[in-house]
Amino acid sequence: MAEVVRREAVYALTAIIVVIMMVDFFFTIPAISAIAGELRTWATIISTMALTLGAVNIIRVHSRNVRRRAPGVWYHSAWLIFIFAFVLLLGFTDINNPSSNPVYKWIFDNAYVSLGQTWYAITGFYIASAAYRAFRARNIDAALLLIAGIFVMLMNAPIGEVIWVQIPRIGRWFNDVGQVPAMRTFLIVAAFGLLAFGFRTLLGRERGFYGEVAGG
Amino acid sequence: MIVAGRQTAFVFLIVTIALFYIFLEMARRGRKIPIRTFPAIAAIPEAIGRCAEMGKPLLYTSGYAMETLSNPDQGPQTLASISILSHVARLAVRAGVKLYYFTCIKDSLPLVEETLRTAYLEEGKPEEFDPLQINYQAGQSPYLNAVMGFMQRERPASNILMGGFYYESVVMGEAGNTIGAMQIAGTANTHQMPFLIATCDYCLIAEELYAASADITKDPWILGCLRGEDIMKLVILVLLIVGFVISFARVPILIDILKR
Repeated sequence: MAEVVRREAVYALTAIIVVIMMVDFFFTIPAISAIAGELRTWATIISTMALTLGAVNIIRVHSRNVRRRAPGVWYHSAWLIFIFAFVLLLGFTDINNPSSNPVYKWIFDNAYVSLGQTWYAITGFYIASAAYRAFRARNIDAALLLIAGIFVMLMNAPIGEVIWVQIPRIGRWFNDVGQVPAMRTFLIVAAFGLLAFGFRTLLGRERGFYGEVAGG
Repeated sequence: MIVAGRQTAFVFLIVTIALFYIFLEMARRGRKIPIRTFPAIAAIPEAIGRCAEMGKPLLYTSGYAMETLSNPDQGPQTLASISILSHVARLAVRAGVKLYYFTCIKDSLPLVEETLRTAYLEEGKPEEFDPLQINYQAGQSPYLNAVMGFMQRERPASNILMGGFYYESVVMGEAGNTIGAMQIAGTANTHQMPFLIATCDYCLIAEELYAASADITKDPWILGCLRGEDIMKLVILVLLIVGFVISFARVPILIDILKR
């Protein structure tokens, strides 16, 4: 019974918040705007507090790997826990402005950012391999995709203009005219899907993410 | 009273909600609303069966999604993904398949844990639930690293990638292909749809991600909403055609109305 009441209270609270945010978006009512502003601040605070849950999850997952000496993994987990604790302590040396600590800043700029950018750069190779898979002319649709893809690739490569001066122009047409209407169509239908999803959430009918099992 | 420039949008919203309500009432009163089966949703039991046959785990992930549920474009995609997760988790528990969930969306953690716990409970195996099936990594690249590492080490038989994906979509999709996993994906991020379509076996595109729960639950309320959505799409199509035709006459009336 208590569980049912708890769930219904969550649905009701969600609905109230959705209505307040919608009214704030469309109307200029100072009282509602003030409440909506408070709610946004709460959302930011709750989201930030959730970082603690994430930190607990990381420590639990990796300390278990170390405890069990998980093959091929445990030493990475031990290193992660060490770095986690080290950076956390560095951050506490100046809690108002952790990046003022030169060691903290060095780790962030030279390890975290560099590794992240390396990953992003590697994406190019994965795109090439995905393109190879997509660009096989197995049917008429794939063949059209292949033709459009060749023009767009040659548009971006300097050799395209050398082969034929019109190639960049055709590539730009595919880029600016050919694909934009299709993408906008997806954007419009996705917006309606989002609206319907919001409406079902407002009515408490979209319950999968509340922990209720859908279908099965 | 109404914020300038949002009057037409407000009217559209009211009309859309009215349509949703009319059709959900009709559906509730027993009117049949047919819905096509999404191949991606229909393939989920096959993906789980593959894991059971091969004795390998199932990987489920919701994408980067700006690392928060508060983002207006990405948050709903994560919530829709968790709705699908509840269905997937139940089937996985029933088949005895271990499901691993990877995320970098910190505020989704309690929802995911509750969803998985409920799935185990509903299937009568609460003791098998392990909260450490859920792996959190802060940041897009660490999250991507964690998923890639898991794929290489554990070789999941199937991967389900549903949610607000960014550049990680193509990397995960290709890595999944490399290990020979069956892959089901879904996103409403238009910039990532081509990558998921190219790299995965099945894909939910755009609003299909939000509509998937209708296919799973066959709930008349949700089906009614879908019909309302379809009617509004027709209205938009008509507006687009009218706008296209009258643009030749250089009559700005439609644009003026929409800008209000």
